[in-house]
Amino acid sequence: MLIETAAYASRWRQVAPSAKALFALAGVGAAWLAHSPAVLALLALLLALAALFGARIALRSFLGLVAAPLGFLLLSCLAMLAGLDAHGHWGWHGAPLELVARTALRSLAVLAALLGLVLTTPLPDLISLLRRLRTPELLLDLMVLCYRMLFVLRQAWDDGVSAQRARLGYGDWRHAWRSMGLLAGQLAVQVWQRSAALQMAADARGYAGTLRFLPAVFPQARRQNLQAALAGALLLALAAGDRLW
Amino acid sequence: MVTPLLSLDAVDHVFADGSFGLRGCSLGLERGLRHALLGANGAGKTTLLQHLNGLLRPSAGTLRWNGQPFDYSRAGMAELRRRVGLVFQNPDRQLFSAQVEEDVSFGPLNLGLDAATVRARVASALEAVGLQGQGARAVHHLSFGQKKRVCIAGVLAMEPEVLLLDEPMAGLDAPMQRELEVLLDGLAARGVTVLLSTHDVDFAYRWADRIHLMADGRAIASGPAQQVAQDEAALRSAGQRTPSALALHALLAERGVLARDAYPRSVDAVLDALRALPTLHSGVATP
Repeated sequence: MLIETAAYASRWRQVAPSAKALFALAGVGAAWLAHSPAVLALLALLLALAALFGARIALRSFLGLVAAPLGFLLLSCLAMLAGLDAHGHWGWHGAPLELVARTALRSLAVLAALLGLVLTTPLPDLISLLRRLRTPELLLDLMVLCYRMLFVLRQAWDDGVSAQRARLGYGDWRHAWRSMGLLAGQLAVQVWQRSAALQMAADARGYAGTLRFLPAVFPQARRQNLQAALAGALLLALAAGDRLW
Repeated sequence: MVTPLLSLDAVDHVFADGSFGLRGCSLGLERGLRHALLGANGAGKTTLLQHLNGLLRPSAGTLRWNGQPFDYSRAGMAELRRRVGLVFQNPDRQLFSAQVEEDVSFGPLNLGLDAATVRARVASALEAVGLQGQGARAVHHLSFGQKKRVCIAGVLAMEPEVLLLDEPMAGLDAPMQRELEVLLDGLAARGVTVLLSTHDVDFAYRWADRIHLMADGRAIASGPAQQVAQDEAALRSAGQRTPSALALHALLAERGVLARDAYPRSVDAVLDALRALPTLHSGVATP
């Protein structure tokens, strides 16, 4: 939900998804290419700054989303530095600090690049981009329906929980478990009913086997793609320079 | 007699569990009029609407378009659904795309229209429901009333000749109900035949040209709004009462305040008639 809210609120919401994807891809490419920790750190910083100041993503939501992958990253770095050796003794691995730093910073840069895309592009835009890239229809139809259903079900779940809470359904642990079980069972029936209703709604509007939607238009896509390509080329040049030098 | 645009002839509908949805239901909808389907919960209003759009098939009896029996083949249904649009009661069950524009484009794309035509239709349908410029919004960020309007736009974009609406006023606040009424009036003025189901007798009497009363899966009375609204026995069988405007007017006429031979369509019209009377100065002395 945090991703969803941020994507709709970001300043780059109206920017063509192809441009944002291009920039993110260039960021990921540059992170793979670059070698020295300093350049990797610079890349991560640039990409994060682009998301925070270019797209005006709130620092709070950015940090909130970075926290979880950062935790994993920290754990893996620690595991690279210390742990059990071949004889079962605890100790330092002696992995070169530079290697650890490079891995960590590279992950950070890739993370920043992907967050820059995901936090500025609502899923419907991403789906329409995938459609233009000729992703199989079946997969896209599933994504469309799942995405919509996610919100419908969340609403149904929240309504159910409120209704149960209003009748003291969550008074203590025993009741809470019972209520949750009842609601889950009830939702299973609802899902079935809703899918039947959805089929009917689609039939009523002349559904003929494929879900067809009109893609969104981004009038300035050409210019934005060019800008993104230029910015991406700069990142790649920075990384390539580092690798060759 | 003019052939009705859509008609049911002794239609039965039996559900899978053996209960009846419709039982010998006969009804005709004349072209270009505003029809209200009035009945209590469980009277068969929704089932009837789903039959008119070909979503259900009758267990017995015949449905007709322009006098011709429905063609339930794939092509026949595509043709029928292009002409007869249905707006469901619960918008969350009808909307399945995450974006407003995308959802509205679903029907016209299924008609096989090209992208430019679809885009133009989507824009004009959104404008008709007062959501112009909101095409890029996410469906789950909309209010209930707005979702309902997106549903109506999704059907309008298919440019149907008949618009069926299942309880369109349910869940809408008073200003939004008025807006919807204006929208429906506009459609009727453009020659679209509108049929809506409701259990609000005052609204049905005020708005409709024709009222069809339903009870126990049957149309028990059908005709001009004024005539059906005075049929107290039929209204009672359908779980309805006399429209407030008529009841109020009848009492005032009985006491000689208003003329007998008028049939005001709303309480407001009765109040207007009262305001038009000269004010009586009864000279009540204040101590």
